[in-house]
Amino acid sequence: MRIPGQRVRRRLIAAALAVAALIAVLATQRHTGIARDEVPYMTSGAKYARWWIDFASLRDGTTSERRITDTFGGAHPTDNNREHPPLMKTLFGLSRILFCDVLGWASELTASRLPTAVLHAAAVAMIFGLGAQLWGSAAGLFAALLFLLMPRALFHAGLATFDAPMVALWLATLLAYHRSLASRWWSIGLAVAFGLALATKHNALMLPGVILPHYAWVAWRRSRVAVGDPAADPSSAAARPGRLVRLRGFVRALVRIQPFLVPALAVGGPLVLIAVWPWLWFDTVQHVRDWISFHTHHVHYNFEYLGENYNHPPFPWHVALVTTLFTVPVATLAAAVVGAAHTAARVRRGTAVDPDRAPVLLMALSAAVAMGVFLIPTTPIFGAEKHWAPAMPTFCLLAGAGIISAGDRVWRALVMRRWIPVTGGFARPAGAIAVGLLVASAALSETVAAQPYPLSSYNALAGGAPGGADLGMNRQFWGVAARGALPYLDEHVAPASGQPPVPVYTHDASPAWGLYRRLGLLRAGLPDAGGEERGVQRSRAALVIHERHFARHDIMIWREYGTVQPAFVLTFQGVPLVSVYLRPPPLRQDVGH
Amino acid sequence: MIAAPALFLALVSFWEMVVVSRVRVRAPSERDWQALSAAVRAAHRPGDLIVFAPGWIDPLGRHYLGDLIPLEMAGRMDAARYPVIWEVSERGARARETADLEPDRSQDFGRLTLRHYRQRAAVVVTDFAAALPGAEVSGRSRGAPSVLLEEVGFEAHRCVVVVPAPDQTVRIRYPAVELGAELVGHVGLADVFTRRDVRDPARLVVSIDGRTVADLTVGVDDGWVRFRALTTPHAGAVVEIAATAIGPRARDRRVCFAAEARR
Repeated sequence: MRIPGQRVRRRLIAAALAVAALIAVLATQRHTGIARDEVPYMTSGAKYARWWIDFASLRDGTTSERRITDTFGGAHPTDNNREHPPLMKTLFGLSRILFCDVLGWASELTASRLPTAVLHAAAVAMIFGLGAQLWGSAAGLFAALLFLLMPRALFHAGLATFDAPMVALWLATLLAYHRSLASRWWSIGLAVAFGLALATKHNALMLPGVILPHYAWVAWRRSRVAVGDPAADPSSAAARPGRLVRLRGFVRALVRIQPFLVPALAVGGPLVLIAVWPWLWFDTVQHVRDWISFHTHHVHYNFEYLGENYNHPPFPWHVALVTTLFTVPVATLAAAVVGAAHTAARVRRGTAVDPDRAPVLLMALSAAVAMGVFLIPTTPIFGAEKHWAPAMPTFCLLAGAGIISAGDRVWRALVMRRWIPVTGGFARPAGAIAVGLLVASAALSETVAAQPYPLSSYNALAGGAPGGADLGMNRQFWGVAARGALPYLDEHVAPASGQPPVPVYTHDASPAWGLYRRLGLLRAGLPDAGGEERGVQRSRAALVIHERHFARHDIMIWREYGTVQPAFVLTFQGVPLVSVYLRPPPLRQDVGH
Repeated sequence: MIAAPALFLALVSFWEMVVVSRVRVRAPSERDWQALSAAVRAAHRPGDLIVFAPGWIDPLGRHYLGDLIPLEMAGRMDAARYPVIWEVSERGARARETADLEPDRSQDFGRLTLRHYRQRAAVVVTDFAAALPGAEVSGRSRGAPSVLLEEVGFEAHRCVVVVPAPDQTVRIRYPAVELGAELVGHVGLADVFTRRDVRDPARLVVSIDGRTVADLTVGVDDGWVRFRALTTPHAGAVVEIAATAIGPRARDRRVCFAAEARR
C-alpha cells in the first residue's frame, strides 16, 4: 500500500475537519432560534434565486431594468434588502429551493442556513491548511479545532446571515493574495475571492487595508535583500546602499512581485461584485453610492457594554478588545498569547516562517485591521464580535503555534533531564498533543455550555452568563432566544380548538413569528399582535426579550396589563432572557338589579 | 522554566473547565425561589417594598413575587416612603435602595438571600404627580402634561410627562401646596429612542413662592436625576415647575419628573 504524501494527507485532514465542522454547525443550529435579520435575508434570497433561475433559463424579460429593480433594488434604502450585497442571500435562496422545495431533505430554515455552514466549514479547512503550512499539521489541526470551538463563531455559522461567510471569504482573499506573491496566476484567485467577499458584506472593503501595507512590507524587504542591505539581510556583508538605490529597488519590487495586485483589487474584485449583483448592472455608480451610503448613515442600535447603554457615538475604544476577552474561550486566548510570544521570538531571532511572503505578518495585519476599526469611537458597536470576526482565525492560528511551542518545550525539558531519549519517536508530538487536547477541552466546555444561547454566554473570565450580566455586557440581540419561550406559549397560552386566537405581542421576534409557525415550532392560534402600543393593546400575551433598552416593552405591558408579574421567565444559567406576560382576566363585576 | 508555557496553558484550561462547570449549578434553583417566595409572603405587609439585586434578576423576582408589587411601587420615585424593604439578593449583591441600611434579618434560601430592612419612612405631604389635576399649565407643548408610567434611564418611573415645543418652556403652577421640611424630586428624559435620535437636553426649574430652589439641566444619558431643596413647612405655597426643551432642535423632549414635599 502506498503511503500518501504530506500534501495528500493534509488535504484529507482538511476535508475531514470541514465535514466535522459542517456536522457540528448543522447539529447546533437546530436548537438556535431565528435571528431577526435572517428573515429578510431569506425572503430576499428566495427572490434573488428565482431571478437567477429565470436568468439561466433565458426567460424573457429577466434582465429588464424593471425586473431587476423589482427583485434586487427599489426606491427606498431597504427595498428588497438592497442595502446588503446579494451573494449569500442568493445562496440561501438557491439552497432553500434545492434542499427544501425540490429534494425535501431539510426544512426551509436549515436549507437556508446551509451555505453559511458550508463556508464556515471551508474556513475551518483553510485555517488548518494555513496553520499546517506555517507550523506543521498539529498546529493547523489545533488552530482549526479552536476555531470550530468558538461559541459565538459557531453560533453565527448556523445562521442565514453574512458574518460567518465573511470570515471565510476574508480568509480566502488573504490566502489567495498570499499565493499570488509566488504565482501571478493567483491574482485571478485574489480578484475572485475579493469580489465574492465584497458581494457578501461591506466590511470586505477593509481588505485592501490588510493587503496593501503587507505588500509594501514584502516589497520593501525583498528590495533590501536584492540590493544587499544588511538591514534586511543580516548575512549580507555589503555596505548599506544609498537612499536613492533603496527607493528605486523598492519601487521595482512593488511593480514586479505581483504586477496584477492593484488591478485584481481595484478592477477584478469589483467586476466580480458587479457580476453577481444585477442591481449594479445599470446606474452602477449611483447604486454603489446608495449601498455605501446606507452604512455610512446607519442608525445606531442600542447596545449594552460594561453597564452602559450605547446608541450614539462616541463609543468606547476598547469594545472589541474587552468583548473578545470575554467571549473567546480563555484557554484559546492564553494559547494565542503563548503563540504570539513564540512567533515574536522567532522574528527577533531571524527565523520567522517564510520571511519572503511574511504570512504571520499578514494574519497579524488581518486581525489588526478587522478589530482596529472598532477602536475608532464613531464605528458602530452594535454587532459586537460578529463585526470583527475576521480577526478570529489569527487568534486560532497563534493558539495553534502556542500549543506546539509549549508542547515542544515540554519535550525539550524532558530530554534535557534525560527522562526520554532525543529520538523518542512519538515523544516529541505527545507533549503538544497533551497541551492541545487540554486547551481544546476547555474551549469545548465553553462551547457546550453556551448552547443554545451563545449570544448571552460569556467565558470563564467573565464568569459565564451571570458574570456577563454583572459586568453589564449585552444580554443578546436579534431576538433569537424567543424560541425558548415557544414551548410555554404552546402549552399554556395557545387556545384550544374552536377557541378564539390569542394575539401575542412579540416585538423583536415579530419578523420570525410567521416562520416559527411554518416550521411547526408554534401552534396555530397565537398570531403576532403587531408592534408598539397598539400591539400591546391588541395582545393577550406578551413577550419581552431582555436587553437593557427593551425595558420599555416591559413598561408598556405593565401599563396595559396592570401587572408587573410575568407568567414565565426563560433563563440561561440563571440569567433572564425572555419574559412572557399574560393579560389578567377582567375583574368580574357584580351587577345590581 | 522551560515548561512554563505548557504549565500555564494546562492551568488555564483546567481552571476554565472548572469555572464553566460551576456556572450552571451556581444559579438559584426553582426550589430556592419557591422557598424564598413563601418566606416573603408569610411576613409581607401591603406597602412593604420588594427589591432585587443584582438588577438583572428583576424579571425572575417579579415572576415569583410580582403580585406583591403594585405598579406605583414598581414606578416609584425612590424608596424613601417605604418603612420596610425586602431585598432578594443573589451573588451577594445589594440594591441601591438598601445601600445605607443594615438588615435586621437575613436568611439564605440556597443561592438566594432574603434581607429585611426597616427605615424611618418619609412622610409625604404633597405628591406633585398626584396633585397635577389641580395645577395650572402654561406654555407651548405637545399635548397636556399627564401622569404616566414611563421609561427613564431604563427603569420604570411614574412621573409627570411634559413635552415642551422646541426652545419653549412649559410652566406647571401648583397654587396651594402644603410643604414640609424638604422638597425632593427626580427628573429625566423618557423614551430611549427619542433620547437616541434627538440629543438636546432639557431643563427643569423648581421655584417656591417665586424663589428658585432647583435648577437642573438633564441630558440624554443622565438617567433619573435627583434634586432636593430644604423648605419651611407651611400650607398654601405656590410651587412652579418649569420644563424647557433647550434649543430649536429639541423636539420630543419627554421631560419626566416626580416630586414630593416631605415632612
